[in-house]
Amino acid sequence: MSYKVTEENNVATVFLNGEIDMDVTEKAKEVIMPLIEAKKEVHLNLKDVEYMDSSGISVLIESHQQASELGTKVILKEISKSVLKVIMMAKLEQILNLD
Amino acid sequence: MNFEETQNFKIESASLKEVRVFAREVFKKSSIFEKHTDDLVLALAEAAQNIVKHGYNNHPTEDEMKIVIKYNDNVLSMELMDKGKPVVPSNIKPRDLDDIKAGGLGTFFIGQIMDEVVFKTTKVNWVNHLILTKSF
Repeated sequence: MSYKVTEENNVATVFLNGEIDMDVTEKAKEVIMPLIEAKKEVHLNLKDVEYMDSSGISVLIESHQQASELGTKVILKEISKSVLKVIMMAKLEQILNLD
Repeated sequence: MNFEETQNFKIESASLKEVRVFAREVFKKSSIFEKHTDDLVLALAEAAQNIVKHGYNNHPTEDEMKIVIKYNDNVLSMELMDKGKPVVPSNIKPRDLDDIKAGGLGTFFIGQIMDEVVFKTTKVNWVNHLILTKSF
């Protein structure tokens, strides 16, 4: 997994790339969580995420919950087909913020 | 077309990518898997992840897990063998979908994708023997 972060005003966009599995979830959290803790609105751009498993979905759930607790939000942008399929399999499309 | 492919993997999270590469190569053997490859790879990788995460608590080990992918008479079976903490099948519960949390999702995915998920205890030299099957 690789990533790029851009910030504009109070919105931080994290462009994730590659495969998100158990091996990289800590790295993903290390990127995303500080932005949420800084109370930024976080946009996760998932267009270049080719594979996501339950560990990756856990990162999305934890990010969403942490953001809600801190009064901000995480929005999933340009979700790749393969990631959307897993989100829907987990029946989270009504819970997470999908754009 | 029947086949059987076997490979051993280190018990570590870095192996999960190798498990997926192995499975994708195997599923290229027949076009009947084409539409199902992503799901089958996910199911197998989730089962392998459970071994790393729960069977060994993500601790370093010299042990390996063995994965066998077989196709016989229109039935695909993916078998995973390990020597980790013995699994008590009745303790395995998929996530309650009304409870929005991360735990148990992998098991839920496996159940959604596969027709049957069975733990056997008959395999000599292994502690856990999980068999995932799907008919085509």
